[in-house]
Amino acid sequence: MNKVLVLVKKELHSYFSSPVAYIILIATLSLFNILFFMIVDQNREVSLRDVFQVMEFMFIFIIPLLTMKLLSEEKANGTMEFLLTSPLTPTMIVLGKYFGMLILYSLLIALTGTYYFIVEYFGEPDAIQILSGYIGIWLEGAFFIAIGLLTSSWTRNQIIAAMTSYLILFSLYFSVTFTKYFTGFAESFLIQMSTRTHLENFAIGLISPSDISYYLAGILLCLVLTRISINHRLWQ
Amino acid sequence: MLIVDHISKNFGALQAVDNVSFAINQGDIVGFLGKNGAGKSTLMRIITSFLAPSTGKIFIDGDDISKQPLTIREKIGYLPETPPLYNNMTVMQYLKFAAEIKGVSVKKQKLQIEKVLEECNLAEAKHKTIATLSKGYKQRVGIAQAIIHEPKLLILDEPTSGLDPIQIQQVLTLIKSQGDQRTVLMSTHSLTEIEKIAQRILLIKSGQLIVDESLDTLLAGNKEASTSEHPLLSLEALFIQYHQAENLKQHRHNSHQSTNEQQLVTHL
Repeated sequence: MNKVLVLVKKELHSYFSSPVAYIILIATLSLFNILFFMIVDQNREVSLRDVFQVMEFMFIFIIPLLTMKLLSEEKANGTMEFLLTSPLTPTMIVLGKYFGMLILYSLLIALTGTYYFIVEYFGEPDAIQILSGYIGIWLEGAFFIAIGLLTSSWTRNQIIAAMTSYLILFSLYFSVTFTKYFTGFAESFLIQMSTRTHLENFAIGLISPSDISYYLAGILLCLVLTRISINHRLWQ
Repeated sequence: MLIVDHISKNFGALQAVDNVSFAINQGDIVGFLGKNGAGKSTLMRIITSFLAPSTGKIFIDGDDISKQPLTIREKIGYLPETPPLYNNMTVMQYLKFAAEIKGVSVKKQKLQIEKVLEECNLAEAKHKTIATLSKGYKQRVGIAQAIIHEPKLLILDEPTSGLDPIQIQQVLTLIKSQGDQRTVLMSTHSLTEIEKIAQRILLIKSGQLIVDESLDTLLAGNKEASTSEHPLLSLEALFIQYHQAENLKQHRHNSHQSTNEQQLVTHL
């Protein structure tokens, strides 16, 4: 576990030792602030439901930009060989990378916590519903990061990693829109596969085991596949 | 210390390493020679457990690396052909990170970092960002990370590649000083460098080990074979000739061959 923490520290150092993390945080927060103002101004209600849904859509574009270099850069720079010939297991490397990015993402989400206090100033928001929405958007981001980490393990080219992430995230996000062409199991499958289906429940204050399981299973699957991907390189 | 036992490695149809076996004793400095693509880096990567062999086994201190890779890696210091550096870190930050992931205890970390900074002559650059360092400094930082956990076996893949003569001399002095404390396996294309520091030569050609001799034996055999008609060959010239087997056979046929030389030619 200590070595995972060492890797997490190294990841955080790499984000914050350059302007990139700050630029991403400031740019993303600025964008969210503008959208938050527009949504609240238009809806005239003390709820963040629509804000969460817009954040979800924006994260499809933002998260692959954050995750594309996680492992592909290590491969391109030759430092992957350094990590894999050190006394580290592939699982430690995967967890170190994942938790490092998850902390950065959590910081970003935490900084949007001010939205609650702003809507509270204008009325009496449903605190449970907003908390539920935050849990949902956090879980969704955690899932997106796991997908980004996985695609980053497949290539040493960051652009290819980002594009592959976009392909997967768009497929998951928009799968629900194709349900009109299917019936029965296929329709149900597309609904359940879509991230929108699950975040909607969180956004209206409904926390169900199936929605939590969807995200946790997705995260676990991606992390296991990333580990296999690294291991395959090791034992090819 | 290190036993390489019938190692082969295939990448699809390409046989990168072909049934290579040798053993290295504690404290030896061994030069690993071969043309580009001969299989040197692949074999080094197999020894470090970065790549798995197709067949064969590697033992370090009697432990099979396929069964205990983490324990084994604590005993190995490895510098790949391109130093694996994080350009956004300072030298100190990088060495601290290397010490932490290589399991140097918190108590010993500061001491070890100071020690390798001194050994590798990096003290004046310790607060500099790696991206701003010259190639020679980067190479020494790469060696510093490889020895920070005091490994028993040091594997260096072309550590002097791309350096100027002064930097080469500095790196060779550093490697030679490591030989007092640990076993060193070093690949290079420069035979002059090997002559300066190695006690033994391994020559690999098309994935096969064709020469495994002590440097003294190799050079003595060469001296005995030397005549006024065929003057003494430098190690460099021998290396080229070993790669031109037919020419060598012809050359040796017309000269006085030592027993050792005959054995070498038989290998070919």
